[in-house]
Amino acid sequence: MARSLFNRMRSQKQTNQATEQTKFSIQINKKLDDNLKNMKQMLGDPVDLVIRELILGGTRVAILYINGITDGNLINNNILKTIQDNLKQLESNGSKDSKDTNEPNESKKSKETKDSNLLDKVYQEIIAITDIEKYTTMDEVSFAVLNGSTALFIDGMDTVLLMGTTGGESRAIEEPDSESLIRGPRDGFVENITTNMTLIRRDIKDPNLRFKTYEVGKSSKQKLVVSYVEGITNPDIVNEINRRLKTIDIDYLSDSSFIEQWIEDSFMSPFPQIQSTERPDSVSSSLMQGKVAILLDGSPFALIAPTNFADALQSMEDYNQRWIPATFLRILRYFCAFLAVFLPSIYVALVSYHPGMIPSILTYSIAATREGVPFPAAIEAILMAVTFEILHEAGVRLPKIVAQTIGIVGGLVIGEAAVSAGIVSPIMVIVTALTAIASFSIPLYTVTITFRGLRFAFIIAASILGLYGLVLMYIVVNIHLVNLKSIGIPYTTPFAPFFGRDWTDLIIRAPITKLTKRPAYLKTIDEQSKNPKPERRKG
Amino acid sequence: MKTVKYEDEKIKSRDIMIAVPSMVISIGVLSYPKFLAESTIAADGWMTIILGGIIAVLYTWIVAKLAVSFPSQSFLSYASSLVSKPVAICLTLLFVSYGISLTAFEIRAIADISHQYLFERTPIEVIMLTFLLVVVYAVSGSRAGIFRLNTMFLPIIFAATLFLVFFSIGYMEVDNMLPMFKTDLQGHLQGTMDSSLSYTGVGILLFYISLVKDPKKAPGSAALGMSSAVIIYLVVYLTCIAVFGDVTTENIRFPFIELAKSVEIPGGFFERTESIFFVIWIMAIFTTTVMAFDVSVMALNSIFPNITKTKIIFFLSPFIFFLSMIPKDFLEMKTIANFLGYFGWGLTGTTVIILWAIYKLKGGKQNEK
Repeated sequence: MARSLFNRMRSQKQTNQATEQTKFSIQINKKLDDNLKNMKQMLGDPVDLVIRELILGGTRVAILYINGITDGNLINNNILKTIQDNLKQLESNGSKDSKDTNEPNESKKSKETKDSNLLDKVYQEIIAITDIEKYTTMDEVSFAVLNGSTALFIDGMDTVLLMGTTGGESRAIEEPDSESLIRGPRDGFVENITTNMTLIRRDIKDPNLRFKTYEVGKSSKQKLVVSYVEGITNPDIVNEINRRLKTIDIDYLSDSSFIEQWIEDSFMSPFPQIQSTERPDSVSSSLMQGKVAILLDGSPFALIAPTNFADALQSMEDYNQRWIPATFLRILRYFCAFLAVFLPSIYVALVSYHPGMIPSILTYSIAATREGVPFPAAIEAILMAVTFEILHEAGVRLPKIVAQTIGIVGGLVIGEAAVSAGIVSPIMVIVTALTAIASFSIPLYTVTITFRGLRFAFIIAASILGLYGLVLMYIVVNIHLVNLKSIGIPYTTPFAPFFGRDWTDLIIRAPITKLTKRPAYLKTIDEQSKNPKPERRKG
Repeated sequence: MKTVKYEDEKIKSRDIMIAVPSMVISIGVLSYPKFLAESTIAADGWMTIILGGIIAVLYTWIVAKLAVSFPSQSFLSYASSLVSKPVAICLTLLFVSYGISLTAFEIRAIADISHQYLFERTPIEVIMLTFLLVVVYAVSGSRAGIFRLNTMFLPIIFAATLFLVFFSIGYMEVDNMLPMFKTDLQGHLQGTMDSSLSYTGVGILLFYISLVKDPKKAPGSAALGMSSAVIIYLVVYLTCIAVFGDVTTENIRFPFIELAKSVEIPGGFFERTESIFFVIWIMAIFTTTVMAFDVSVMALNSIFPNITKTKIIFFLSPFIFFLSMIPKDFLEMKTIANFLGYFGWGLTGTTVIILWAIYKLKGGKQNEK
């Protein structure tokens, strides 16, 4: 019900937006001074606005751009310098023109033709920038200037030349911190969407690779790119994503996570229904599988959709190692996920409800260590789990230098001191530590958070009903998962709905030579991902 | 929201193949070696299981075949076309009452067994209520989701069974299996009766097959699913007899769980394996309960299409809860179990025979397209 309500809200917003779209537009004046004054007024005369006036062939022109978001070299070398180089030629043209037209009553008309000649000449011959366009309204010009373009006003003309000079400082390509690999490419996405698109283009030189561009953010006007490979990706998925993207109505998106939260299937779910990554190789291989990637200007995180539960436990590393170690790592990761979610709750259930299930010798030692601990196991477990969460959160937020101190304080002082003070038992510390390490072995951070949350749910269930509560909670999570979808694709594929073919790349990672087909659950148009039996193998 | 076409309320015949054993395997497996051991000598019960199994598989195939003759039609609509609408509604209501009582029975049974194997002091009402709430949550979700749940849980249940059987090998004694072929005809008949009664719940096919996308394959899949359940029954029975002998088996209430008690998992991580095993088995009981409840809801919904699914669920849940409180003790539970067995077979059997007969009389193939 909440879902439908939300959808209704969305559609309402959409209609609102549609009415707002009818914008007034100011035509550009013929007088240069008026235009410059208007521009200054529109932008509030900021300090970073640069206006450079020149005289070309007897006509006043002005170059206008915003410092910092433009590429200074480009403006100096490809605009100013070329104009100055051509100055003499233009001036001689201008004087020749003026000589030809002696009649005074025709002079005005001739001036106009002269100006338009000048505009065409500048447009066609002089400016050494590929991205150059003519505009006639003030709004368009101001948006473009705010986007990093340079505007060229010519006195007497109501047309403005806009030259794409977007540039300025940006971060260099670095190895992403959030997903590090031992073996694999070292590049990561940056905040600049053009660079990010380039990174994908470098990986996939397929003419069918599509980048569909949107503009999102009412104030921020950010570029959003939906990328997929035509002829592989199921068009239903692409259409559905496009449909949802069109509903986005927001002022500014600080990160692609805004898009994720806007277009995901269920906002009531703790599970991430869209994968995010900083790795171009991850995006490229997902595109080749038949998924869709979404890039946002200003965010180094690309979104990949649809995704499923199994993706949470896979890393690009699996494909970069040989298949036997990779399979081993996968199984290890599934085991770690199990520990990360269940270990504290199993401990609680066993100690407080079913002590008979623990081997008797262990029971004695657990009982001995728990001697003097004033709390029941459930409280103890929650106490330790919360402490760990606090440590983790503090460690993430603090600067890296201080974060080390947190490690020492947390690990030594709290762990040791809590035990010797008799607040928690040493076994509980082991359980918490093991759980923490296990949860860090999950490659996707978004999923780690989910598991951390689930852990508490399981501890509470176990503390109320023991193993019975545990299994009921497990069933509840499963019910939630089977009803969950990612862009219309069931979240539990390929487990259920079952796709036998996809099991070659699920818990085991079959040899690369055997992974000849794209995932069946994505229902791709082109199933074959590589030639199954190359000719040379026959010999 | 129109999205990628997974056709959400539609399922494949493979889902039916999984749904049948998920439905059949529940409480019954835990206790039936006891009843079989009562009526047969040594390990002779294997014959009756296979005999009962063959009957059950055939029966499943017939039920599925009937339902498939009317593809994408709800039970109510094709039953109405065969035997006037009032009769069809009566039949549907009977199925609803069967589904509800089965749900209530499973909920009660799970509470009883939990009491025996997990905790003594927790009131059974709490156990029942929590279980019912989880079942309600599952039924409130999409119907395709229930089939996905089956797909998720059935492998776990099979794995647990095989695991248990594997670790019991060390405790098996050939002497327990002998002598062979000593049971008289009476015992065999009784045993066949007992074992076929355990395969309850085929009636769901009458309702679920209308959701199947590829109905042609459905009868085969359903029969295959039933065969897998029969194999599990057979393996469980033989293991119980081989480990305990028939006299001991006869006197244990849940021989299959006790089996878990007697084995020891190497490595010594857990003792009292039976608790773990029962906890896993809760999933098997859960899938049965969910499907029984869901079929009732589906059947009621076909009679009252204007009432939403959620309302039906909220109306039925308290009723089921009180129904499950009725039995007083183990003996009454056994009586109810027997009654449900007969009720299930009788109802589904009669319905199928009547519908088949009239279907054939009315000229058979007309309805097929």
